[in-house]
Formats: sequence, structure tokens, C-alpha cells
Amino acid sequence: MRETVITRDMVANPKTAYGNKKASTRHFITQRLTGAINIAFLVLLLFVVVRLAGQDRLDMVAVLGNGWIGLPLAVLLVIVAIHMRNGMRDVLEDYFAGSLYRLLMLLNTLFCILVAVAGVAALLKLVFWG
Amino acid sequence: MTVRSRPLSPHLQIYRWTITMTMSIVHRATGIANYAGMALLALWLGAAAWGQEPLNAVNDIYGSWFGQLVLFGFTWSLIHHMLGGLRHFIWDFIIGMEPGQREALAWANLIGSIVLTLLVWTVFVWMA
Repeated sequence: MRETVITRDMVANPKTAYGNKKASTRHFITQRLTGAINIAFLVLLLFVVVRLAGQDRLDMVAVLGNGWIGLPLAVLLVIVAIHMRNGMRDVLEDYFAGSLYRLLMLLNTLFCILVAVAGVAALLKLVFWG
Repeated sequence: MTVRSRPLSPHLQIYRWTITMTMSIVHRATGIANYAGMALLALWLGAAAWGQEPLNAVNDIYGSWFGQLVLFGFTWSLIHHMLGGLRHFIWDFIIGMEPGQREALAWANLIGSIVLTLLVWTVFVWMA
């Protein structure tokens, strides 16, 4: 699984490090920032689901078609997708390495883009075209 | 600067189970569940944008007993993961890491998630 074997000397050498420091710090900050914003997403999601669960298309358009609800939800959905990709990266990093890790990260990115694009497209359609 | 590959996680079986460890694993599990669950939201929004027919199909699936079971689990998963995230914010300020405190936070995470989920479903689904 591992590309390079970690030797005793490498671990003992303080000039070596695990992973990429800058990318890891950015990952940490991004995950905290998007996570905090996701609380707002959950509140809006609760409101939308409580209002619209099982309702007809006309009701969906009436609530989500309102730009003050549909557009913030679309923005928050993109932020959720970023949080999802970042979080799944944490999981993949722990269990996979090398080319398999890169393949799974690609699938991860594609899934997150798919969810964000599908959700945002649906919301834009509801807001601007009903 | 030599960049070496990250260490892989050791297997779980060698550890004695603790509440903090369990909630750490559950935080990861709920994160993965939320990851998959977001597809359900995208599907619902997509069906609503598409037309009444696809929306009816989605509403039938989500409204069935199995759909409701999944949505109940998704609600708990989202709330547990959010409370777990708040716990991480607390730890980021180097608070709540001492023995006893971290166990209390872990139990609060679990109990809080169950209470909030039951509260949301009682107020907005079962009594509505």
C-alpha cells in the first residue's frame, strides 16, 4: 500500500515530516470554517424539510423558489460539499495510500461535485424558472 | 525536506473500548453516513425541479416506513456529527481534554444527539 517504506532513520530525523504541512493546515482551517457554517445549513434544512416534506411541487416552488431561501440553501450546499470532500479525505488518508488513494480521492471529488451541482442546479431551476 | 507517506491506522481490536474512542468512531461513521445521505437531499431537490411525477415517486419512497426509518437515522446522524463538531471546537481552545471532562463531553454528545433527534421528530413529525 505504501509507496515509500518508513525507516527508523527517517522517523528519527527531525527534518522529515508526515504529509504536507501547508495543505494540512489549510485542510484543518477549511474543515473548521465549513463545519461552523454547516450549523446554519442544518437550521435551514430543518426549516425546509419541516415545511415541505411530502408536499407537492407547487409548495416546493412557493418555498424554495423564494430567492431568500433557495439561493442561501444553494450556497450552503456548496459549502457542505467542500466539507464532505475534506472529511472523506481524512478517512481515505487513514486507510489507503499511493495510487489507490489517488483513485478513491478522484471518486470522492466527483461524488461531491455531483451532489453540489445537482442540488444547486435544482435550486436555481426552482428559483428562476419555477 | 523529505515528505514521507502517512502512517496507516492500526486495527481496532487491540484497544479496550472507551466512550471517547466510541464517539470518535461514531463521529467518523456519521460523517460517512451524512456524505451518502446528502445524495437523498439532492435527489429530492432534483425531483422537485424536474416535475410533479418524479417528486411523487421520491415522496412515496421517503414516506414509506423504510424511507422514514432512513430519514430518522439521517436526522440522528446529522445531529450527532454536528454536536461532535462542536466538541472539536471546544477542544480547539484546549478546553475539556482532562480525564473526566472528555468522557463527560463524549456522553453529552451521545445523549444530546438522541434527545435532540427525538425532540425534532416528536415536535415536527409525530405531533405535527
